Amino acid sequence: MRKQKIVNGVISIILWLCALVILIPIFMVVINSFKNRKEAAMMNIQLPGSWHIIENYSQMMKEGGILRGFINSTVITVICVFLLIVLCSAMAFVLQRKKTWFSKTVNMIVIFGLVLPVQIIPTYFVCNFLHLSHEIAAILVLVVANMSFTVFLYTGFIKSIPLEIDESAWLDGANHTQLFFQILFPLLQPVTITAIIINFMAVWNDFGISIYFLNSARNYTLPLTVYNFFGNHSSDWQLVFANVVLSTLPVAVVYLILQKYIISGMTAGAVKG
Amino acid sequence: MKKNGINRYSYSLAVPGLLLYILFFIIPAIGGLALSFIKILGFNISSARFGGIQNYLDVFSQPNMRGAIFNSFIFAVVTTVFKMLIGLTLAVALNKKLAFTNALRTIFFLPAVINTVAVGLIFSSLMHPANGLINGFLKAVGLGTLAQSWLVDTHLAIFSVCAIEIWKWSGFTMVILLSGMQTIGREYYEAAEIDGAGGWTKFRYITFPLLLPAFNNALILNIIGGLKVFDLIQATTQGGPGSATEVFGTIIFKSFGSGRLGEGCAASILLALIIAAIAMPTYKYIADREVEM
Repeated sequence: MRKQKIVNGVISIILWLCALVILIPIFMVVINSFKNRKEAAMMNIQLPGSWHIIENYSQMMKEGGILRGFINSTVITVICVFLLIVLCSAMAFVLQRKKTWFSKTVNMIVIFGLVLPVQIIPTYFVCNFLHLSHEIAAILVLVVANMSFTVFLYTGFIKSIPLEIDESAWLDGANHTQLFFQILFPLLQPVTITAIIINFMAVWNDFGISIYFLNSARNYTLPLTVYNFFGNHSSDWQLVFANVVLSTLPVAVVYLILQKYIISGMTAGAVKG
Repeated sequence: MKKNGINRYSYSLAVPGLLLYILFFIIPAIGGLALSFIKILGFNISSARFGGIQNYLDVFSQPNMRGAIFNSFIFAVVTTVFKMLIGLTLAVALNKKLAFTNALRTIFFLPAVINTVAVGLIFSSLMHPANGLINGFLKAVGLGTLAQSWLVDTHLAIFSVCAIEIWKWSGFTMVILLSGMQTIGREYYEAAEIDGAGGWTKFRYITFPLLLPAFNNALILNIIGGLKVFDLIQATTQGGPGSATEVFGTIIFKSFGSGRLGEGCAASILLALIIAAIAMPTYKYIADREVEM
């Protein structure tokens, strides 16, 4: 028993050393965002000789468009997540309940999007052809990019809801839409929470798709403001670090509060599949 | 009554979602295939003419592109191997009841929620040749000879980017494997302990075999993710120095930026084919499960 204790102690120490590999870079960023330009350029983990918190952050806020980015990110993420939940739960419901060869084929094609990468250039052509504004195009493409996974998630859960519930709703004279929105959708709550978390993270942190569609300071999301801020201020590390801190803060706070849900939510698909 | 039951479910509810999927996924997928055989200047449709396999030949004749295929594979293999190894080790260690299990789990998963651009910038600083913390640390512990120009050295850059990806996603892999481990019943281990099995034997004959489904999922997820990589490279090296870290994602982005859309589509289709070839077995596995349930 004592040997076991020593072993566990050693493992704990090793794990904490590994944790430092994650914690030190984060500490480095935060501490350097408080320094003056010359000290921040040294990029070490010493405490600042003089503190410039308000100065750095206010200058960065003024030049970085981070407030705009925050608003844009919030609007785009909320719309995308809402559309994904409503559209995908309804799709999964119909495709799972129909059980005809046609619905099964459609379901397969939708699931296919799990592996196939988005063909971004032709998608751009389609948006161009439909004369969609950049913001709307970005929202729709982000929705479609996350659609397969969300449908997959919902399908798995809807299977576990017994058909008897549908039957009794039919007997009570409910129609198709009432059955889904009033009776089934509330039952899907656990998977809806998971889907909200996964899609929130995917859309909020997206860079690979939005960089194609969002192309002016007016419509940049947070990751794009950070990317472009670095392009303009690559030698002002204190401002770059302040920018990284502030743009990461919202999601970091949400993560620390809801960590249990977020960790299990983000990995749910991979565990279940 | 039972027989026409399925007819009561109408497609009307699924139509909005399906319409979007067709417009922005199916049509682009088919259109991309078509476009990869067409020579076109920017978005000027009137300039389009049939080019046969010219785009594919152009893509392959660029030295950039051959490097990009090679780099994509290097990136996918190196990151997958290390993410799985580190993820598995951390999962085994954290599957025990230790004093700070939860705190450690939270810390290891943290990089997964930070956006890639921020992670890229953090590491651009850490890997800075003159002042970066990594070289500073190496010098401080007397290993100054190991100090490198991590992201600037053409031979090393691709591996440095791999290291960033591994830093960001190992904790994610850990959680997938950890959830897999927690579904394994205690009674297996108790039976093995009665038979006098040691730690390694238990891992080799109980944990690992029963962990395989989760392990396979994490493996495929990491391989596909590795081949698709774009945002991390764009945020750190943009394919440079020279074309040392060019991958499919950056090639497609560059052809888009310079209006060589046909070539971009050809590269995109090639990537899709490679991913499909690797992921098809998994896809079949998922689809089979869909049917059987």
